[in-house]
Amino acid sequence: MGNIIINDLWSFLKPEIFIAGGIFIILLADLVIRDNRKAIHFTALIILIAAFASALLQMGTESFIFYLGKGNNHGLLAVDPMSTFIKLITIFSTILIVIFTITSEEFKGSKFKSGEFYTLLFGMLLGMLLLSSGADLIIIYVSLELLSLSSYVLAGFIAGSNRSSEASLKYVIYGATSSGIMLFGISILYGLTGTTNLYAIHTILVSPHVNYLTLGLSILMIFIGIGFKISAVPFHFWTPDVYEGSPLPVTAYLSVASKAAGFALLIRFIKVGFISSVGTNGFWNFYENFDWQLFLIILSIASMTVGNLTALWQNNVKRMLAYSSIAHAGYMLLAIAVLSEKGMLAFLVYIAIYMFMNLGAFYAVMLVANKKGNEEISSFAGLGYKNPYLAFGLSIFLISLTGIPPTGGFIGKLYLFIALLDGDMYWPALIALLNTVISLYYYVRIIKEMYLTKALDDTTIETSKTELTFMFALVAPILVFGIYFTPLVNFCTNFVRILGF
Amino acid sequence: MIQNYIPIFFVIAVAAIFGVAVIFSSKLFGPQRPDKIKESPYESGKKPFGNTKERVSIKYYLVAMLFIIFDIEVIFVYPWAVQFKSLWAEFGIFAFLPMFVFLIVLEIGFLYIYMKGGLKWD
Repeated sequence: MGNIIINDLWSFLKPEIFIAGGIFIILLADLVIRDNRKAIHFTALIILIAAFASALLQMGTESFIFYLGKGNNHGLLAVDPMSTFIKLITIFSTILIVIFTITSEEFKGSKFKSGEFYTLLFGMLLGMLLLSSGADLIIIYVSLELLSLSSYVLAGFIAGSNRSSEASLKYVIYGATSSGIMLFGISILYGLTGTTNLYAIHTILVSPHVNYLTLGLSILMIFIGIGFKISAVPFHFWTPDVYEGSPLPVTAYLSVASKAAGFALLIRFIKVGFISSVGTNGFWNFYENFDWQLFLIILSIASMTVGNLTALWQNNVKRMLAYSSIAHAGYMLLAIAVLSEKGMLAFLVYIAIYMFMNLGAFYAVMLVANKKGNEEISSFAGLGYKNPYLAFGLSIFLISLTGIPPTGGFIGKLYLFIALLDGDMYWPALIALLNTVISLYYYVRIIKEMYLTKALDDTTIETSKTELTFMFALVAPILVFGIYFTPLVNFCTNFVRILGF
Repeated sequence: MIQNYIPIFFVIAVAAIFGVAVIFSSKLFGPQRPDKIKESPYESGKKPFGNTKERVSIKYYLVAMLFIIFDIEVIFVYPWAVQFKSLWAEFGIFAFLPMFVFLIVLEIGFLYIYMKGGLKWD
């Protein structure tokens, strides 16, 4: 029995094992080689690349791990194509965040403790990896807490900064409340079904003897925990404050990786718990117990409208990007709301491109903030003449976030709209289109500030060659995928499947 | 379905009414002759002085946190040790390994505190 467990672990959980081992390696390395930041950065990169390679190698495999017991064929974790995709996204964005951290000015001072930083970052990553393949409510909750607790500390990681401490405190209060409500919802769901395993819950929810009112209440409560992670309206109130106050690498990480993990949880929760089968035309067949489509459409339209309309009034670019990330959560939620395989494909394409463009935008903002010390929009005045390369890169990221061809963002939106029209959702598609037009205003406002406004002072914004190279390494996939997107879409098509469906 | 919950709503209502009633009935029916001594925070005892922001030495928190770590360790290890013989018979070495890993993780945490100077408090 023991040998089977070890074999299972090694053949399906390599990324998790690498990251969990990495936590201890980095913690011990930090104790042994003190004050050698470069070595710590390097160790973290090596571990992450090993984890990424092992996640790539387990592409296409699917299995349950940690079986519940004899005669029960459901496990605690489900490794399948969808979870592998989210693992690839989260590990890859962590690699990019390590590079952010190396060049960040906020993390240059003597107060920055690199060992602790990477321990917590890896803790977050481990939480996301387990969350993306968690098939049991208990392991989902525990990994969500592992993810949250590490990110609370990371949000306040700049010692002595009031802004950062405030962000951390707000994050803790919102996070504790929402995870408490989620736990309550889980307990109600357990009371209804008598099991915590999603696959087992599915077999029980089929029966018509479930009280729909109580089921709806528990779903709403669980969704509060998920909505907090993906920062969907109306659970978004923490987002602008936390994103503004946190150190920039952490903000960028929260806006991409922890969102991806939250969406993975949402997809698994819906697809495993509530659908009877996937139809031949790719649409998911539901039982009559909860109207997921209406629920998700309302939330996604609220998210993108509130996010875009509030972003119009922001003068801090970091805060503006926070609202824009709420709006993008709305688009991705809409892709899931189609409730079909095409919608899933649209979501996967969208989040892959979103990772590049959002991290890129944050990186360009960080390069400016490194020199200016703030992220106000006035700091970007005249950037097009002070540093043309940086301004060009940032413009590409912003155009891609709007969704204008020939950038990757357009392809993401294109697949979203194809899926929406395929599902006969004309009204949501129209609203999403209008929202894209609104978002153009505030993205272009930064571009206008960079090229058409005269700089107020003569400070130069210099960037080293390595920093620019890294930024253009993020620009390249956006431009390439904007024109030649078939490989990306084909790649994503392999990952639509979820274990059992 | 909702009828099944009526007893619960009933208990909630009774609790609310009882709570409010107790507070207000003593105001309504009881005699009230307040004076200076009765109004003071501690009617019988030492006169309060100073404010509530009493400073506590940081060592107190350190000891408390370290205590929690080892307290949790004992909570985990004790039931495992009691059941160890039957676990060993069933799982062999795999009854032993998980606890071993857990203890190593815990000791790494302790090592971290020690080497970062968490126990140097003078």
